[in-house]
Amino acid sequence: MKRIQVVALNTLREAIRDKALYVLAGFALVTILGSKAIGWISVGQDIKIVKDICLAAMSVFGALTAIFVGTNLLYKEIDKKTLYTILAQPMERYEFVIGKYLGLAALLLLDILFMTAVTVAWILVLKGEISPVFFQAVLLIYVKLLLITALSVLLSAAASPILGAVIVFCAYVFGHATEVFRDLPPQIAGTPAEPVLKTIYYIVPNLSLLDLHAYAANNVPVNPLYVFWAAVYGAGWAIAMLALACVAFENKEL
Amino acid sequence: MNEPAVEARNLTKVYKALGKRPVHSLRGLNLSIARGQVFGFLGRNGAGKTTTIKLLCGLIRPTAGEALLFGKNSAIPEARREMGYLPEQPYFYEYLTPRETVTFYSRLRGISPRQQKEQWEKLCGLLELEDIADRRIREFSKGMRQRVGFAIALVGDPELLILDEPMSGLDPVGRRLIRNAILRLKSEGKTIFFSSHVLSDVEELCDRIAILVSGSLELEGAMDNLPGRRVLQVEVIASGLDPETVAGLAAGTSHRRVEVGDEFRVNTLEEANRIAARVLDRGGTLVALRPVTETLEEYFSRVQQLAATRTGGKSE
Repeated sequence: MKRIQVVALNTLREAIRDKALYVLAGFALVTILGSKAIGWISVGQDIKIVKDICLAAMSVFGALTAIFVGTNLLYKEIDKKTLYTILAQPMERYEFVIGKYLGLAALLLLDILFMTAVTVAWILVLKGEISPVFFQAVLLIYVKLLLITALSVLLSAAASPILGAVIVFCAYVFGHATEVFRDLPPQIAGTPAEPVLKTIYYIVPNLSLLDLHAYAANNVPVNPLYVFWAAVYGAGWAIAMLALACVAFENKEL
Repeated sequence: MNEPAVEARNLTKVYKALGKRPVHSLRGLNLSIARGQVFGFLGRNGAGKTTTIKLLCGLIRPTAGEALLFGKNSAIPEARREMGYLPEQPYFYEYLTPRETVTFYSRLRGISPRQQKEQWEKLCGLLELEDIADRRIREFSKGMRQRVGFAIALVGDPELLILDEPMSGLDPVGRRLIRNAILRLKSEGKTIFFSSHVLSDVEELCDRIAILVSGSLELEGAMDNLPGRRVLQVEVIASGLDPETVAGLAAGTSHRRVEVGDEFRVNTLEEANRIAARVLDRGGTLVALRPVTETLEEYFSRVQQLAATRTGGKSE
């Protein structure tokens, strides 16, 4: 456990010292503040628009961080051979994978906390109301990011960063539209495309279950039990993919 | 306690890639290195040295056989507790300083903060790290990186050091620093296993060597008794001789004045014995009588040529 913590803290430090992440955080900040400008166009809807855009920005910028850092996470260590001296230490490979994952998860948590704080402050400045559903939405965004990170780490152990990023990006897009693959139009039935699309429905995590933007923007309450089970669903996927990443990395030739 | 520090049993590694011919990097290597030895692992580029080292460090899995450290399979993390490793090109987190890097590895080994402080001081003394301690590694030259890499290998004061080309690419000052560090560790009784192309350093530092040719062990032996090493001449050094005796002995030998007296070089042991007897007979002091062998570089080249001849030039 101690070694996992050491690797995680070092990963977090690496990410914080990596200036590329500040650029992403800056982009997120610009988007959050820019939402006010869009709010002006939508007369009387500004608070709702600010919430909606800010939550979307958290989700997208968080996902971009998870994908681009995550798909490089192990690959970079292998490519730059930094892990030669680390894995020669008396430590298990899974400890390294989990440590790297937790380091990135900690970074995303900092990102989300920062963006939430800015959003809340902005809404309060605009004299808007923050209801619990806003924080429920933020929580599920974080769970979604954990899931995407785990998938990115898995692909980082097995594929190049570009291929990994493309696959995770596709999973992100398909994951927000899984109902489309479930409720296929009648003309697809019986065609070769049907089993392919159905398979996508079953193998891609349903990310729309973790999406409460619309509820948060409109202050519509959500049952905490739903939030709990949605979080369990997302965490379950994340754990499964992280376990697969550990298995893939265990037998990796360096 | 009696297990060798390093042991390879029928160690074999075949790299397989889809659509490519398998590459036999290591073929049934058997090797045993006793505790406290400095062992030189030699071979041309591609001979299988780095593959062997990676197997010993648990970085890759053998196709057959096993690699043992102090009797434990090197794939098990616990086996690597008493092992420190310096890769051929040490790679680090560029955003860290040497002090942070050593702290990171110390924490991975569960070393307490107090021990870390003591260890840092020792490493600074051995590898002259103080001046570069708080600079980012990304600014470092090859020599500085090698010192940091060596420091990482020494974290936790391991009994066994596995060093892959520790002197490669270093300037004379850097080489001297690493060589002195190895000598110091040798005097502390550490086991050191290292590969190198700098054969003069190997000759100076090692107790035993092994030569690998195309993934197979060509030979292994003690540095002062390598199998088939040619004795070129025998050197006799004497002191306290009168000029007349020196002149007499110098006839038919290669003679020169040295600091302690006179050196005579002859081609056979019999001639050397005759000179030694004459030195003693004339009241002189026999300082040394020793064979002058071919250099390790000459020996290494000859071994490679013999292997190539035997395999029809396929030893590359």
